[in-house]
Amino acid sequence: MMDIIQHIFDAIPLLLTFKNVLAMVVGTAIGIAVGALPGLSATMGIAVLIPLTFTMDPIAGLGMIAGIYNGAMYGGSIPAILLRIPGTPAGVATVFDGYPMAQKGQAKLALRISLVSSSIGSAVSAVALLLLAPPLSMIALKFGPADYFWLAIFGLMTIAVLLSSNPVKGLLSAAFGLYIGMIGIDMMTGIERFAFDQLELLSGVNIIVLLTGLYAIPPAIDLALNPVKPVGEIGKIEDTTRNFRWSSLVPVWIKSSGIGVITGIIPALGGNVAALFAWNEQRRGDPDKDKYGKGAPEGVAAPECANNADTAATLIPALTLGIPGSSVAAVILGALLVHGLMPGPQLFRDKADITYAFMLSMLVTSGLMLVLGTLGARAFVNVLKMPTQLLAPMIFVMSTIGVFAIHNSMFEVWMMLGFGILGYCMEKLDIPTAPAVLAVILGPIAEENLRRALLISGEGFLSLLQGPISWILITLIVATTGLPILKKMLLRQKSNVSAVAGDE
Amino acid sequence: MKKLFTAAAVVVASAAAAQAEYPERPINMIVAYSAGGGTDIAARTLAPFIEKHLGGGASIVVLNRAGAGGEIGFTELAQAEADGYTIGFINTPNILTIPIQRDARYSLESFAPIANVIDDPGAFSLLPSSDIKTFDDLIAYAKENPGKVTYGSTGLGSDDHLAALEFERMTGVELKHIPFPGNADVRTAVLGGHIMMASMNISETIGDVHEGTLHALGQMSNERWAGAPEVPTFKEEGYDVVMGSMRGIAAPAGVPADVIARLETALKAAVDDPEFQEKAAQQHLALAYTASADYLAELESLSATFNALWDNTPWVQQ
Repeated sequence: MMDIIQHIFDAIPLLLTFKNVLAMVVGTAIGIAVGALPGLSATMGIAVLIPLTFTMDPIAGLGMIAGIYNGAMYGGSIPAILLRIPGTPAGVATVFDGYPMAQKGQAKLALRISLVSSSIGSAVSAVALLLLAPPLSMIALKFGPADYFWLAIFGLMTIAVLLSSNPVKGLLSAAFGLYIGMIGIDMMTGIERFAFDQLELLSGVNIIVLLTGLYAIPPAIDLALNPVKPVGEIGKIEDTTRNFRWSSLVPVWIKSSGIGVITGIIPALGGNVAALFAWNEQRRGDPDKDKYGKGAPEGVAAPECANNADTAATLIPALTLGIPGSSVAAVILGALLVHGLMPGPQLFRDKADITYAFMLSMLVTSGLMLVLGTLGARAFVNVLKMPTQLLAPMIFVMSTIGVFAIHNSMFEVWMMLGFGILGYCMEKLDIPTAPAVLAVILGPIAEENLRRALLISGEGFLSLLQGPISWILITLIVATTGLPILKKMLLRQKSNVSAVAGDE
Repeated sequence: MKKLFTAAAVVVASAAAAQAEYPERPINMIVAYSAGGGTDIAARTLAPFIEKHLGGGASIVVLNRAGAGGEIGFTELAQAEADGYTIGFINTPNILTIPIQRDARYSLESFAPIANVIDDPGAFSLLPSSDIKTFDDLIAYAKENPGKVTYGSTGLGSDDHLAALEFERMTGVELKHIPFPGNADVRTAVLGGHIMMASMNISETIGDVHEGTLHALGQMSNERWAGAPEVPTFKEEGYDVVMGSMRGIAAPAGVPADVIARLETALKAAVDDPEFQEKAAQQHLALAYTASADYLAELESLSATFNALWDNTPWVQQ
């Protein structure tokens, strides 16, 4: 422990030179912008930047990357709150309460909550990375295929909550998501599923294509169809930031950053899952469930804190074991390689100076994010005052550019527009889109790992019930989903009984 | 003396200019995998050195065309105009196995190989705590417990998978294949003890071998790779399995021979550049430069091997 602190103190003067701080400021600003633009994600931002960091000093280059990573996670919430368009997959859960808040005229407060929560999440995560990386990294190895299966099921259970008002429509959306998740070459057999001999469909549907289509296009269509927006109604922005009781969010932050850090360490789950978990847990734990989805400040704080708490935590298995838990972490590993840093235990021994400076830059950029976000908030809110004649085409153009940039494929642009029309219809028919997104992310994880677990053991379904992690997850599933349903049924029975009793 | 140098330089430069205008505009280099991946990083590391040795302010733009295990990028390269302004990385075994597995819009004849750059041999590795320490242990255990040895690979038809199939065919043992989406997933599963063995390229295994977290039974090259001199080859141990992932550069078929020759010369100089060598060592790149003609011969012989293997044990359900 002492030598870790020693390393951290050694890294501080290395990191805090003018050049490095400038690189981190630039990175954070790029990150916020990349995150805020639908279709562009942290993964892409960093991938594009890697060649530019070739000629840079490693600490400056990696500091810039840390800034992009943290900034993008926060940036995704800006359009989510203002326009109900999540800028990144991790921003989906922020829409639930963020957009209603903005509709109530609390856009400024929502942005502020998102910013503060994101910074706190990032900071907690960075501290976990700095101090606890080696012991925590062992969690990543402990997860076997059966455990991943139960974890994905646990995640899919949150769909049950998203269904609330109309279960049939919600399940329809979830089934659609599961179907989309099946498209492409099946990993286990090599059979092409629902690809219709289209080369572009062989590797499946990219989540960003689906997300941009379902979330960015319908609001743009809406804006285009109703171009005259009465100024003063939504344009009116109250400044409620001052009267807000920030202390009420402290328990939310503690819980959500914990969820974010743990989700981050487990490979294969990303910030999007962390945010949904946190939002769901926040709603479940609150006695007043009805306020969620209608503009509850806690409903913004929880997912934003969690998706940022995921960032540095994802790097824990990446740096200590060379196991990238997400596509962003994989790209960052690539950047480390370019600078001659081979991930693994030796990284903390032989290249301690650069490694600790990089980890520290995750912490510093979470602070920079707070500063830049505060400065930018004034400008961001003005999006609401923009004439819709301008806003709608801008959303179309940016979504198209963003989706095209993923694989430089026009096919995916058309697919995104197709999903956009579908999303618009779903919205008009009151079919929620969030279950579809969750199913696309978790469906393939559940399926692949179920089949892998069965293949490895060769002993049938009983093999899913071995191992302590599986049991913990099963208990969690029963406790969070099964019990409330049971309680509801018991209550109903009781009221039936008492109703019958009252009749007599 | 200085004057003489300048004069010589001018003569050489003008001679080069007269010899060929190529390249007079940026060259696109297609990478069939996503940005930030192994091939992409190798390509982006190498590109500036090719630019330097092509001279004349040449510029190379790396384009990522990922998807379908490389097929999207390979198809685009095959169908690009044969003017020398589109080149790309081709990766074995995918470049060869995709046309065997399904109706692809290209074949090996669609390409003019320029040179191979990387040849990363396959390897088998296990946890050091495993009772299996040698090939003899592995074969004895697998014969006693058919299908009990689980090994992870980076997917059906990957070099890791084909290598294990070849090993099974040769020794008559039965192993159980567990496909994973990527190399990191295989590593996680073997380090966590969820599978018994990893079939992974040696460059991806050697870090763990040095760290003492994995034990490599052997590497599937003709000669031991310089980065892993302590790991014996399968051949040395008596199993003639030579398999790996080759990453080289090709142009579409039909590019003029003098353009291919210029690219080949520049590529050789780039790979030999000490600065590039140093970067490659940092990234654990298993460099293995092979000139155009030999590279083509090697690709053809590999293709024949894969065809034979496919006839024997098709690795993808039809």
